[in-house]
Amino acid sequence: MRSSLKAKAPKLSKDSTPEQIQAAETALVAVLRTSRASAKPGDIFTPDIAQYIRTTLKREFKPEEKKEIRKVVLEKETNIPVTLKVNYPYPDPKEFVEMPATLLLKLPTLPKELKYRYVNHNLLLVDSDNNMIVDYMIDALP
Amino acid sequence: MRRITQSVLTVFVLILFSSLNPSYCQSISKAAVGNKVSQPAKPALPLSLPLKEGSIRFAIIGDTGTGSKQQQQLADLMKQYREVFPFEFVLMMGDNLYGNETPADYRKKFQDVYQKLLDDKVKFYATLGNHDQPNERFYEYFNMNGKEYYRFTKGNAAFYSLNSNYMDKKQLEWLESELAKDNSDWKVAFCHHPPYSSGGKHGSDKQLREVVEPMFVKYGVNVVLAGHEHFYERIKPQKGIYYFISGAGGKLREGDVNERSPLTDKFFDTDMSFMLVEIVKGDLHFQVISRTGETVDSGVLVNQKKTQ
Repeated sequence: MRSSLKAKAPKLSKDSTPEQIQAAETALVAVLRTSRASAKPGDIFTPDIAQYIRTTLKREFKPEEKKEIRKVVLEKETNIPVTLKVNYPYPDPKEFVEMPATLLLKLPTLPKELKYRYVNHNLLLVDSDNNMIVDYMIDALP
Repeated sequence: MRRITQSVLTVFVLILFSSLNPSYCQSISKAAVGNKVSQPAKPALPLSLPLKEGSIRFAIIGDTGTGSKQQQQLADLMKQYREVFPFEFVLMMGDNLYGNETPADYRKKFQDVYQKLLDDKVKFYATLGNHDQPNERFYEYFNMNGKEYYRFTKGNAAFYSLNSNYMDKKQLEWLESELAKDNSDWKVAFCHHPPYSSGGKHGSDKQLREVVEPMFVKYGVNVVLAGHEHFYERIKPQKGIYYFISGAGGKLREGDVNERSPLTDKFFDTDMSFMLVEIVKGDLHFQVISRTGETVDSGVLVNQKKTQ
């Protein structure tokens, strides 16, 4: 569905201008938001999936590893206030929290259109092209 | 010229050129022809690079995207250096645009700053930092071909731009498949987050290191470049690989390097800086220049494979 929706937005070439980039982002967010008007938290992170992720993260990381990951994820500089709201973009100006590579490899693989993001202790699913929040999970960090 | 030779795992040799006595290239002063008024001579720029015919020449900047006066000063100095060291392209270590990313921001924080180099047809190859929107990959002047991670080659060198914000399974599989078939003499990887760092603010990205370093070692990556830390640092060779941080192209975190760090071989954290690199067959020469024009580090790396 997303692919067909993306086709409705301007296509970006490898040598796009900033104006073209901005126009494509705005258009894609608009069509996605319209098509997902009824989306709500937990649509993708269903209780079963959320439980699976929590269990996996708890089981896979030793206390020292968790400490390192917490340091990255909760790094003060990147610990900015983000309002969690489905269909709204990750705020701009923004600073992304790096997804610790070792953590990423433990999580279920996503289609290329989606990415995980951590904000404080919360795990987000965002659109790869425009950072629109697709779903989120409170207190996911082990 | 003082030389220091350091052997690493018996195959890696680093010969340092002291910046105390660099070779000086000729002045770039220009006298007006057919005009009674001559232009004042510009001071000669110290150059520690060999300027060999047919070599691969490039610059490295990181964490640039502020649009500040200091970023512009550094860009102007890069342009001056290009007059005596005609580098073909620039590697960007990420955080290419801080804050908003409107069309005006693209101009103010990148295009206007480096316009003179763009006019000279210098190509910029970017990687994404934690302040960068992923759609920067489509920007005409970042040469990312619409990809968050990509590879390109110049002569006998291959360059891997990695997205260290999101080192997922798919990217790791791509990296391994590309490295496995890469016969280039030089393999240079660059990304935003540093696998090794003596920075007090961030430090080494151990999670990233855990997943990429085994691949770098297995497939003979020679050099790894990064930013994120707003200073310059040359790390002691780790498992036969040379690591650099060049993240003071637009911001400075003064005094952030832990001077007692066992990792550091050389650092500079009191002003902004950029790097110049020249690859001449099996040798990779580098020179690091501060905003005030001081050469703060220089040397030559000998290709590990060539010494085997």
